[in-house]
Amino acid sequence: MDTGLTLNHFLAVSGILFAIGLAGVLIRRNIIVIFMCLELMLSAANLTLVAFSRFNTGANGAPDYHGQVLLFFIITVAAAEVAVGLAIIVALFRARETTDVTQIASMKN
Amino acid sequence: MPAYALEIIVFSLGLVLLLVDAFAKLEDKRSLAWLGMLGLVVVFGLLFKVEPRAADDANVFWRFYSDSRMSLFFKGIAILSTILVLAMAIDYRGLIEKFTAPAEKKAHPQAGLGEFFALPVFACAGLMCMASATNLVSIFVSLEAVTITFYVMVAYMRRNVGSLEAGVKYLILGALSTGFLVYGFAWLYGITGSMDLAEIGAALKSGDVSPTAALFAFSLILVALGFKVGAVPFQMWIPDVYQGAPTPITAFLSVGSKAAGFIVLLRLSAVFLGSEAVAGQVAMAFAVVAGLTLIVGNLTAIPQSNFKRLLAYSSIAHAGFLLTALAAAPRKLEAGQLSSATVVAFYLGAYLLMTLLAFLVVGLVRVHRDSEEIEAYRGLGKSSPFLALALLIAMASLAGVPLTAGFFGKFFVFQLAIQGGHWWLVTLAAIGAGAGFYYYLKVVAAMYWDDPTGAAAKAAAIPVSALTRAAVVTLIVLIVIAGFAPRMILGLIG
Repeated sequence: MDTGLTLNHFLAVSGILFAIGLAGVLIRRNIIVIFMCLELMLSAANLTLVAFSRFNTGANGAPDYHGQVLLFFIITVAAAEVAVGLAIIVALFRARETTDVTQIASMKN
Repeated sequence: MPAYALEIIVFSLGLVLLLVDAFAKLEDKRSLAWLGMLGLVVVFGLLFKVEPRAADDANVFWRFYSDSRMSLFFKGIAILSTILVLAMAIDYRGLIEKFTAPAEKKAHPQAGLGEFFALPVFACAGLMCMASATNLVSIFVSLEAVTITFYVMVAYMRRNVGSLEAGVKYLILGALSTGFLVYGFAWLYGITGSMDLAEIGAALKSGDVSPTAALFAFSLILVALGFKVGAVPFQMWIPDVYQGAPTPITAFLSVGSKAAGFIVLLRLSAVFLGSEAVAGQVAMAFAVVAGLTLIVGNLTAIPQSNFKRLLAYSSIAHAGFLLTALAAAPRKLEAGQLSSATVVAFYLGAYLLMTLLAFLVVGLVRVHRDSEEIEAYRGLGKSSPFLALALLIAMASLAGVPLTAGFFGKFFVFQLAIQGGHWWLVTLAAIGAGAGFYYYLKVVAAMYWDDPTGAAAKAAAIPVSALTRAAVVTLIVLIVIAGFAPRMILGLIG
């Protein structure tokens, strides 16, 4: 089925996703939201991988599965990262009662 | 024994430590650290028994794994630093217990200590995998194995606000750099159609790949690895994280995390520098980042009064020298000339020795004097002459005084930069090295010449355990040997 979608469409969407994630990390002050934006950046990379995998077809027309393998590793690593990350954030919330990153700057610069 | 058996052994060792901790009901959990060190010493010995890959060996491991001399050398660095970090962790256990002890009265006071000795072993396994990784997937997985372990270790003192803050900062910026890394990897894979570094290198060389897309992938990867190694302008997390993390972990972070970043950077930069179309811009990007890192790292270190922060800025400054070696990578290697990979490996080896020696002393002073300010080191030359001598040698080597390991590290970098004709980088490196003499010797001056004030005046000698003494003596001997006979270390690199 030809949907008219090309590789460039997917790359554009993933680029926008990455930019939204990065902007969120830089602008937002709530640490949970920052963490969500970081996951968005990983999803952008995943979308890029799948798109390249689908359009880099081999001689027999099958997608190049290397990209999809990395995608599964990224999903797994991201899950591990979230598990550890949320634990640290909860511990910090217990100690400081805040999720605002501008409030966590007790060390001198 | 093939090289990949080593990682399997180290990883199993970590699991054994966790199981012993869970089921053996140890009264004193220091024995876990001893067990870990013993196992790693055995693995370090096995490193010299590794058989090279047989020509007919079709094991699937070799598709993403290299057992070159260089990767064995980096594995050695990983194991040695983990052993020393465990030795430091034993001395530091009092503070860990204080900040992790469970709230219930009946609980064992060391209930939170076991994992503190097991986690460095897992990080070591990750570092060793990374030393051999030749495929984007294995690079990514081993790098994340190291990074996620470090998140836990940095934030380990969960009742200490400083440690938690350091953990959160490291978490956010580490995850940000992971995002850049995988996006860069995705593009690199997309434009070359391969995950294997050799195939990627061939594809970039062939000229079928758009240079713009290649440079885009490179800049994403450079941002990611810039965070990992602490290159300017991605260095802002380093001082806070170094200051807040438990001292043995700070030491591990400064050595392990930096070595990890540079291994990956070396592998990937070789791929990009091999392509005529992008080599010029890539070398230029390295040179700009190296120059900035040299200046910012060295100059911001000067006014520091907290010793751990000083060492953090020093780690940025050393990243500058290492990046200079990468920027000055010769296009064509002449006979007798050192490649930039060899120079980086030697520098990292020297850096490991002197940084761990400095942090050993910092950890002891923190435990016994309850301070990390440089003022707390006043009079150390009189009260604890052994530790003061160790710190003197570490500082001399970090500054690059001749006949120490640090001197030859810097010497080879300067040699490479001069041969490549990068004169403005040489100038910046010289300014940086000069500033280094000032801030490193400031600590030495405090130890030997300044009169102690306040509590430090009445402080007794700091007790040094036999294990720490052995570690300090070993490090001093290695620093001096590398300072007299650098060829011996270069021979190990191959």
